[in-house]
Amino acid sequence: MEVKMKIDINRLKEIVGENNVRENSADLYVYCSDSSVHQATPTVVVRPKTAEEVQEILRYANAELIPVVARGAGSGLSGQTVPIYGGIVMDLRRMNRILVIRPRDVLCKVEPGVVCDDLNKALRPHGLWFPSVPESGRIATIGGAIANSGSGVRAVKYGTVRDYVLGMKVVLANGDAVTLGADTLAQASGYQLDRLMVGSEGTLGIIVEATLLLKHLPKFRAMGIAKFGKLEDAGESISAIVASGVAPSLLELLDSVAITALNKTLNMNLPEVEAIVLYECDGRLREAVDYDMASIKDICEEHNAFGIEISTDAKEMERIYSGRKNVFAALSRYREGFVCTALADDMAVPCSRIAECVRKIHEIGERNHLVMSTYGHCGEGVLHTKIVMDATNKEQWEQAKRAVEEIYECVHSVGGTTSGEHGIAISKAPFWKKEKADSLKMMKAIKTALDPNNILNPGKLMDAPDDWVKATKLRYPVELGTRA
Amino acid sequence: MEFNRLKKWQNELNICIRCGYCYEHCPLYRESNWEIDTPRGKLILSYGLLTGEVEPSSYVAEKLFECFCCKNCSKSCSARVSPTDILTDIRADLMESGFDAQGTTVRSDQKLCMACGRCVAVCKAKALSMDMKNMRVLVDKVKCKGCGVCVAECPVGAMSQKQGFGVSREELLARIEGALKSGNGIPKVVTLCCNWSIYPGLQLSRIESTGAGNTASGIVVTVCAGRIDSGMILDAFCWGAWGVMIACLPLGECEHDGNYRVQERCTLVSRLLHILGIESQRLRLEHFASGEAQKLKNAVDSFVSEIASLGPPYEVLRKGN
Repeated sequence: MEVKMKIDINRLKEIVGENNVRENSADLYVYCSDSSVHQATPTVVVRPKTAEEVQEILRYANAELIPVVARGAGSGLSGQTVPIYGGIVMDLRRMNRILVIRPRDVLCKVEPGVVCDDLNKALRPHGLWFPSVPESGRIATIGGAIANSGSGVRAVKYGTVRDYVLGMKVVLANGDAVTLGADTLAQASGYQLDRLMVGSEGTLGIIVEATLLLKHLPKFRAMGIAKFGKLEDAGESISAIVASGVAPSLLELLDSVAITALNKTLNMNLPEVEAIVLYECDGRLREAVDYDMASIKDICEEHNAFGIEISTDAKEMERIYSGRKNVFAALSRYREGFVCTALADDMAVPCSRIAECVRKIHEIGERNHLVMSTYGHCGEGVLHTKIVMDATNKEQWEQAKRAVEEIYECVHSVGGTTSGEHGIAISKAPFWKKEKADSLKMMKAIKTALDPNNILNPGKLMDAPDDWVKATKLRYPVELGTRA
Repeated sequence: MEFNRLKKWQNELNICIRCGYCYEHCPLYRESNWEIDTPRGKLILSYGLLTGEVEPSSYVAEKLFECFCCKNCSKSCSARVSPTDILTDIRADLMESGFDAQGTTVRSDQKLCMACGRCVAVCKAKALSMDMKNMRVLVDKVKCKGCGVCVAECPVGAMSQKQGFGVSREELLARIEGALKSGNGIPKVVTLCCNWSIYPGLQLSRIESTGAGNTASGIVVTVCAGRIDSGMILDAFCWGAWGVMIACLPLGECEHDGNYRVQERCTLVSRLLHILGIESQRLRLEHFASGEAQKLKNAVDSFVSEIASLGPPYEVLRKGN
């Protein structure tokens, strides 16, 4: 699909107001990328404020066959908001109202541009929280988190974003607005269309309001750091913790590359060992939290952990937690002249296979002469394998491409899935298409039914180019050619 | 066009993962909500200039001259990229190539300027100098950090900044008045908060029922407290404030010395309030280190409760009397 479109800017200005449309080349250029490796420039950027404005824009775009890419914070890692065929980028950050918090129903209603951490600040006085916040929660929007089926470090106990979506209002490609789901936890009323929107990456509709289930804030929290001399022991201990029935609220693995990067960049002062397992338990009873913490400590020690440190100091826990959230950026300083790229970076594997996959991934890195870090929310099976490379070097991209292919082969061979929380979009589409080969036809049928003109975020998921490296220009100063 | 200074930052521009964490506390983005006003947007623009994908233009230059150099972006960056340093170099490159943009830098109105030199004396960035021959103030736009201390210091209103960023005298006064008139709370208290004392509350979202959002209720962000002049404080009382609190960095920690300047002004206004028969404790200056949001929140709560016990101030300052 290559689109040569003519967009009536005045029509868009009529809809959202003159101040909310930008078409000059500098403004368009800054919307060309997110946190992925891809780059493509939109034709125009609009900032709607209301659901009605979103409806009007889509009615116009659908009639004129103009691609529309919804965008929140632009912190995605797979190219979700990169307008591969140009068109309209719809920046939804002005739709940032927390509409209602209903503590008695344990739910809230928000607009898509509400920032995840802001929501939690607003919920705190009510003794509530939205636990499934992505690491980028300080800027990531709720709309983006839902559209990409995000999760976060606490998913091991609290589940992922999809578990918190009770309902939503969505504007479809033809401009119709529909209300999906209900304000209840239990729903057995036909197709779960709200769930269909979760993870649809803006290809089926644009979320203009979401109803979210909330949880009560835990009263007690404790965090532990277990050191390991062998990465595989750390992986085995995580599998054993998950299988034991203890429910930590955070269970993370950090390998030596991630540890060094955090210490070097953020002065985290973490122990320089082969691997660290970071765990946290929370609950309403101190005794229950202490019991779970002790159980995890025992399991780690059974797997050769040493020097386990426990903290209940809120500031120290926040320091460690904040550091963990910043691994991706910190890795960019791991080696002079190298940068950290989001490639093959969030696959999920069955928990019992974590140790094996971590070992294989490091072997793949070495075989392809790449620096690779493995860390992640291993308690839920999510592995982050950032590739640290010289992004200006063509040969490194060839090596990275090979490594990514090998990583996904490994992940799929153990029953894992291509993306655990960052979504598919462009970077992961070729591998995801292989994984979902037998259901692609079904997904295409759904897409065609809801968006027959293919205007909503075209060129993503099933429609993404098969060569991810050449799908778009890369955001680094290196020329590898683009799709034919 | 050559970007000789910018070239050395190429690797830093690659290192930036474009995550966007830098704009959470960016005062410019908070005003405009446009991506081009985020530190990330400016780094992407800089990258585009280097690669030739972005054409240098007066608009691009204007955008790259818009930065308050607060460095909240650098503090938020886990990759330790410093947008402010990169922008300083690109400003110099642009100036050298003839792009004379205004951005957030200050300007001096020659018709009003008395050449008293007070602005030069308070400028820590050494961006201002006196042209003794022509008796006028010169502004080095590469060095100017847009703190606005000189704007508040000028006795005749000759120094100013462009409107649209929420920091011009007119905009700040409108915000103070708005905060006092829109709030339903009794007592009416306004907090003028330096951007470095990260304020509590929501950063980028709003709560529908209360309207609280970008600025927590009753808090007006001034970027640097040094831009608060005596007139603003007195106007707040005229508009019905029961109390005014000013939140700024601890002494010695503000790179513009804005906290010393506002402290001097507070001392002066306190004396004036006393002469007028208004309790001096209705004006409070408090210091907060960067990131002490909770301490700030507690201090505001405590101030509000003290002011509530004092009741409304002397009626003589109410406008119209």
